[in-house]
Amino acid sequence: MIELINVTKSYNGTNKAVDQLNLTVPNGEIFGFLGPNGAGKTTTIKMVTGIIRPDQGEITINGKNIATQPLEAKQQFGYVPDSPDQFLRLKGLEYINFMADMYQVPKDVRGQRILELASRFEMTSALGDPIQSYSHGMRQKIMIMGVLVHNPKVWILDEPLTGLDPKASFTLKEMMREHADSGRTVFFSTHVLEVAEKLCDRVAIINKGKILFCGTFKEMQQHFQSDHSLESLFLELTKHE
Amino acid sequence: MSKVLLLSKVLLKNAESIWGAKKGSGWKKLLLVLALVIGIIPMILGAVVFLSAMYDGLALIGQEGALLGLGFTVASLAIFIFGILYVLSVFYYSQDVEQLLPLPLRPAHILGAKFVVALCYEYLTALVLLGPLLVTYGVKSGGGIVYYLFAVLIFLAVPIVPLVMAALLVMLFMRFTNVGKSKERFRLISGLFAICLAVGFQMFVQRQSSGGVDSLEQLQQMIASQENALLNLVTQFFPAGRLAALALQDGGTLESLGFLAAFFLVVLASLVVFLVVGNSFYFAGVMGISEAAAKRKAIGKTAFQKLVKQRSRLLSYFWKEWKILWRTPAFLLNCTLSSLLIPILALLPVLARRDSGELLARLQASLQGEHAGAVSLAIAFAAILLLGALNSTSVTAISRDGQGFFYNKTLPILPQHLLLAKVMPGIILSMVGMLVLLAEAVWLLSLSGKFIFWAALCGIPGVIFINLIGIMVDLHLPKLVWSSEQEAVKQNFNPLFSLLFGLVTGGLVAVCVMYVEASLFATALGLFALFALLDVAIYRMLVVKGPKWLENIED
Repeated sequence: MIELINVTKSYNGTNKAVDQLNLTVPNGEIFGFLGPNGAGKTTTIKMVTGIIRPDQGEITINGKNIATQPLEAKQQFGYVPDSPDQFLRLKGLEYINFMADMYQVPKDVRGQRILELASRFEMTSALGDPIQSYSHGMRQKIMIMGVLVHNPKVWILDEPLTGLDPKASFTLKEMMREHADSGRTVFFSTHVLEVAEKLCDRVAIINKGKILFCGTFKEMQQHFQSDHSLESLFLELTKHE
Repeated sequence: MSKVLLLSKVLLKNAESIWGAKKGSGWKKLLLVLALVIGIIPMILGAVVFLSAMYDGLALIGQEGALLGLGFTVASLAIFIFGILYVLSVFYYSQDVEQLLPLPLRPAHILGAKFVVALCYEYLTALVLLGPLLVTYGVKSGGGIVYYLFAVLIFLAVPIVPLVMAALLVMLFMRFTNVGKSKERFRLISGLFAICLAVGFQMFVQRQSSGGVDSLEQLQQMIASQENALLNLVTQFFPAGRLAALALQDGGTLESLGFLAAFFLVVLASLVVFLVVGNSFYFAGVMGISEAAAKRKAIGKTAFQKLVKQRSRLLSYFWKEWKILWRTPAFLLNCTLSSLLIPILALLPVLARRDSGELLARLQASLQGEHAGAVSLAIAFAAILLLGALNSTSVTAISRDGQGFFYNKTLPILPQHLLLAKVMPGIILSMVGMLVLLAEAVWLLSLSGKFIFWAALCGIPGVIFINLIGIMVDLHLPKLVWSSEQEAVKQNFNPLFSLLFGLVTGGLVAVCVMYVEASLFATALGLFALFALLDVAIYRMLVVKGPKWLENIED
């Protein structure tokens, strides 16, 4: 579970990227975080993961406060950033092993888990090559694998489907579903509204640092008394802002 | 032409934002500028004093013009050497290259714009090297407005020819090494080989030339008589410098105008050659530059088990840093290998002299005297400290992560462990450098085992000290926005700080020891205790304040 209470972040003192944000991402759900470019999605994710500090407010992950118990909080989640161009000089396997060390995955389960992930994402033959030699999609896959190797309770994924091939995209969506169904949390941002509509149990739409709507797709249709798709509701909602 | 100008403007703007991207409060920037000024002013003052003494000496025999010739030649050589690095990073390893390639631009457009960018960097070098010379010469010779007009024109044009030469060399090299799968490694090895060849050649030439230069008078004589083979060779290598000197010597006369015209003709011709060669070689060398070799073969069972090893967070992070340092060519050259190369390269000018045996014997005698013990130790300590300061591993430890740094913050590793893991490679590399230096001392100066032991004993806390200072500097002024790995370590001011710090601390230690006149044993113990205490204090500060400082780095 992720909880944000009255979280505010401003740049240069005036420009509020995130403004008095309140959000609860419950267990057992896939939660979609939607919004136009520059709405404050990535800023919010960066605050949740401890990359930047909020000016005000409190953030907890499974009850652990990211500001006061950073290590315990970080142990709860796995985070896939929006740019997979990291650790390029390491080999795929070295990177995943590095991540396993960071989260102290025991040696006896580590090897097995890496092999499982590699075969699910069809990366077995690429593990011995440097990440620099990977395509964009493969880099995305290895980042996801590095995060999933410690079997985190909370998944935080920033645009995770960008660049993935149909098979990997399907696999990841399947895994997200399994993860949520086992009573744990998936929090992800996306621009692809069709995916969000089909995959998410609940969505939040953010624009200019404020949550415009938070709830299930059904609730959204009821709220706006319309049977339109998420896409047209989204466009309607963010049009006048 | 308009496309070239437009593109240069864009590239320069981009570079400017990269240079200016160090976010820090006002006082940090002020401190930065202040430290640079403090560091550079004595150098410039020293240069002015030296140059005017040279001028006076040469004026006695009517050869003061030779000073300009020498100045332009030395500056050209420096610009050529820097040019190789700039061309590599601006023309080839900059990330914008892959975005420019698909645009409807001719090689000449991209080349022209990139040349302008590299030239702007070179003007900074030229300003430091030629500024004092041109002004000192102008004042001393009572040059009028024509002199200064010529001087400005020549200043602007002088870096062009050596930069073209560097670019031609690099373009040819990159063209013919753009082969095979592991071209990065191939290029690195052939580059190192080329450096060895150049150094060997230089040693050979220097040994051939007369005994070496010991005093100002000798240097003046050498310039006036033009006997020195090395100088002649370098001058022949950069003939444009000679023309520029001749044009400036009697500014305003018809003859000087002729020289000036000839100089600009040479500059223009070099640009034409650059564009023609570049047109056919640049694209062939730069295409596919970011490709990396891949086998795409599953790892065997035993190899897999070996790679999937469990380590502590601290050790694992250290390994990651260590591997990246060795695998990234720009880091390998500037951080890893430099700890080995600098003590070796520093030795070459000594060994290259014909009278090196005599010189070493003299040095040995002065180092082994009864009272010289403590002072020698202080000098050895200062040298070790300086060697550590010259290594940019710790002082760029955060900068090297670039935008990937922020990902570190999401990992469940204690900030103090992260900092420790980042400073460890630098300490190890500096220690290796120290051992090389001490080994050289044993070999050449046959110093006693006792002395070496004491030097190593106080060297260790010294090396740790300078590395801790380095990471403190980088924590406060990390350069996280860069477009090539080269930029993260080369176009970064932080190593300059650590150098300054090493120089000042080493100097202070040497002066203090000279005044105190303690025994070798007392000095060694004192230095060891002092720096061990300083290390503990800085380490405590890193542990207590470091996490906050890390947290403060936001994008």
